[in-house]
Amino acid sequence: MTPENSKAGADIQRRAILKGGTALGLAGLVGVPLAGKAQAEDAHPLAGQKIEMNILGIAGWGPSSLGVAMSPLFAEYVKAKYGYDVTFQFQEAPFADLFQKAATSLATKSQEFNIIISDSQWLGALAQPGWILNLNEVIKNNPNLQLEWYSKAVVDTYMTYPDGTDQIWGLPQEGDVEALFVRKDWLEDPAERAAFEAKNGKPMPQTWEDFAELTMDEFELLADFFTRPDKQVWGFAQQYSRVYDFATCAFNNFLWSRGGQTWDPATGQIEGILNTPENAASLAEFKRWLKYCPPGATNIGIGEGVDVFVQGKVFSAIQWAAVGPAMIPEELKGKVLVVPPPKHGTGADAKRIMSMGGQPWVINAFNDEAHMRVAIDFMNWWYLPETALEFAKRGGNPCDKATLSRPDFDDINPWNRTFKYMLEDGRSQDFWHDPKYSEMLAIQQEGYSAFVTDQATDAQSVMNYIACAQQQILYDSGTAKVEPTAMCATVSL
Amino acid sequence: MATGTPIQGRTRWLDNRKTRVFALLAPVMTFFIVFNTIPTLWLLGLSFYNYSLTSGMPPEFVGFKNFVAIFNGKNAIWFDLSRTFTFVICGVTVQTLLGAVLGFLFWGSKNMPGRRIALTMLFAPMVLTPVAAGTFFRFIYDPTFGVLNYIARDGFGAGPIDFLGDPKLAFWAVLAVDTWMWTPFMTLMTLAALGSVPKAELEAAEIDRVPFHRRLSLVIWHHGKFIMMLGILLRTIDSFKTLDLIIPMTKGGPGQNTRLVALELNKQSFESFNMGWSSAYAVLLLLISIAMTSVFIFVLNLRRRKEAAE
Repeated sequence: MTPENSKAGADIQRRAILKGGTALGLAGLVGVPLAGKAQAEDAHPLAGQKIEMNILGIAGWGPSSLGVAMSPLFAEYVKAKYGYDVTFQFQEAPFADLFQKAATSLATKSQEFNIIISDSQWLGALAQPGWILNLNEVIKNNPNLQLEWYSKAVVDTYMTYPDGTDQIWGLPQEGDVEALFVRKDWLEDPAERAAFEAKNGKPMPQTWEDFAELTMDEFELLADFFTRPDKQVWGFAQQYSRVYDFATCAFNNFLWSRGGQTWDPATGQIEGILNTPENAASLAEFKRWLKYCPPGATNIGIGEGVDVFVQGKVFSAIQWAAVGPAMIPEELKGKVLVVPPPKHGTGADAKRIMSMGGQPWVINAFNDEAHMRVAIDFMNWWYLPETALEFAKRGGNPCDKATLSRPDFDDINPWNRTFKYMLEDGRSQDFWHDPKYSEMLAIQQEGYSAFVTDQATDAQSVMNYIACAQQQILYDSGTAKVEPTAMCATVSL
Repeated sequence: MATGTPIQGRTRWLDNRKTRVFALLAPVMTFFIVFNTIPTLWLLGLSFYNYSLTSGMPPEFVGFKNFVAIFNGKNAIWFDLSRTFTFVICGVTVQTLLGAVLGFLFWGSKNMPGRRIALTMLFAPMVLTPVAAGTFFRFIYDPTFGVLNYIARDGFGAGPIDFLGDPKLAFWAVLAVDTWMWTPFMTLMTLAALGSVPKAELEAAEIDRVPFHRRLSLVIWHHGKFIMMLGILLRTIDSFKTLDLIIPMTKGGPGQNTRLVALELNKQSFESFNMGWSSAYAVLLLLISIAMTSVFIFVLNLRRRKEAAE
């Protein structure tokens, strides 16, 4: 190649490169965003769209509103990651009415509520008619949802129906356990300590570790010591109310901890299991504790329990960990100790098995494709480590092992240590997830309420009444194979 | 004329009496059939089926099994009906008597200063939502921080009274709130009944020095009884359906002490979703309501029938 040719060739080459560069630049300028958009669309079918989601939650329930309050973070997250806009509308109903609100909507195959914060016992009633999405496939296809949960109790309570199967219908929104809230400032008062020691010959328990080993007999000394009706102060509060599952959850703490059972989930058998003399004795014991509670304790539910505690009417209260923020308002910060509830029994046989609380997320099975996709994105986001941590910092109780095992978790909230302790297997459990739970619960609430208010005075008769009625319900629905016995014909409340 | 034909046609169509009646009645009949007759027939049909909304199973025809279960079951309707009739009879009687007394007092004090304000205040409870009234009274009755117990304790040195937790008191505590709410309604009906009495007849009776009890029975009751009986009938039907006052106050408790029929129906239908059973229960309540209404109408027409027979 001659130099001239070479020069000409170089010019052509340069022009070609320049042309090519310009073309590439133009292509870059115009094409990259297009390519980017094409890529985003490939990655997420909703990119560029605006979606409105509806969540149904529990009115007046802090953890439920936390899920709602955090949803703008999800909107930011999906906008940045997937390129779509999402807004949320919220509807609420109190515990006792939420199922009614959800069920009447879902029965019409409506997608009025795309995501629902259900109560754990409702899983069967929502899953059986096919109203909520079975999550097995969703979990299989979304590695973020394949979490290691803190305990089997989490899976059994918030996720599984029927009990003991691998069918997943819910994911934990808020974990919850029973905890004992005690007035630390009263315990630390030197005059009170001296008076207690003088009266009982032993010092007051003071630390979390002291309370973790406390039995009901030992705790009764404290409850009795602080019961001073002349000063309008009482030693203890727990739920005896007839509303929803309030008395049931509180009584189950006694029943299970004292070795009883409510039913056989494998056969649906209730009669002969619930109405044992031991369980009747547990009911009598449950009622006996009323003497340490303020007047009107038979109407104490969650809200009333919070009221009497924060108003300084009671020294201690068994309460859900989830209402920790309400039980420890600003003026009580540093004055309350949250500990495991006392064990029942004595010595090595003493044990505690308390009721599980908490709620799962469930997804409406009738969501259209877009809403279903957003609901699943929401679940993926909810269980991100940073979301779970943020939830805990705002007062919520996550259930995944990674978050609960963080070294700083116990110190985030005053109840976290107890929450984690009580969430361990064998310390807390839920009751039936059967679709007939509502009917069975209503019978039980009536019976327990009748007994604690003296409408019925024989604990054994009350337990017989409940067991017979529940056996009939489960027999009629086909869950139980055995009819109520002849004894049931004569039983009434 | 081209424009005249349809007008003439329309005129002919409207001139036909039968068509006009049908056209005027059609909207209300459509409304009645769609929202009343069809649901009632549907309810009647469903009462013969075993159908639970949460079971995921299709309805199963069971004949009269739901009705038998209602009368024989653990939650037999007898207890709820007995409680409900006690609630209705006691409540409506007290409300009618108190309402009548207050009505007469206001009737006889037309020149009283502040009468209008007093009447407005008297009628205020009636316009409150029962759920709100129930919630207020739950707090008012509260044994720990309720105002009634505060008065009892500080004013009379009485111990805390658990109005809604004590089986002996709860029913009457709820009934007292119902009376507080609905006595004004009977006062209103009394005033309306008294307003229907012709002044001339009253004045004539006064001139003739007819004693008050005779004036009451011969003049006032004669003219006002229809409105008063209508008030009692409306109150009876309304009281029979009481639900929204009890839910926030006791939810039917303690035990079953304040569980009225409407509460049980609400529980079975909208908490337990036993649609077949609760339809049968609703049919029975409907029949009872119809029977009660028939008795009232029979009593109202008794004198007219006697007069017609004579």
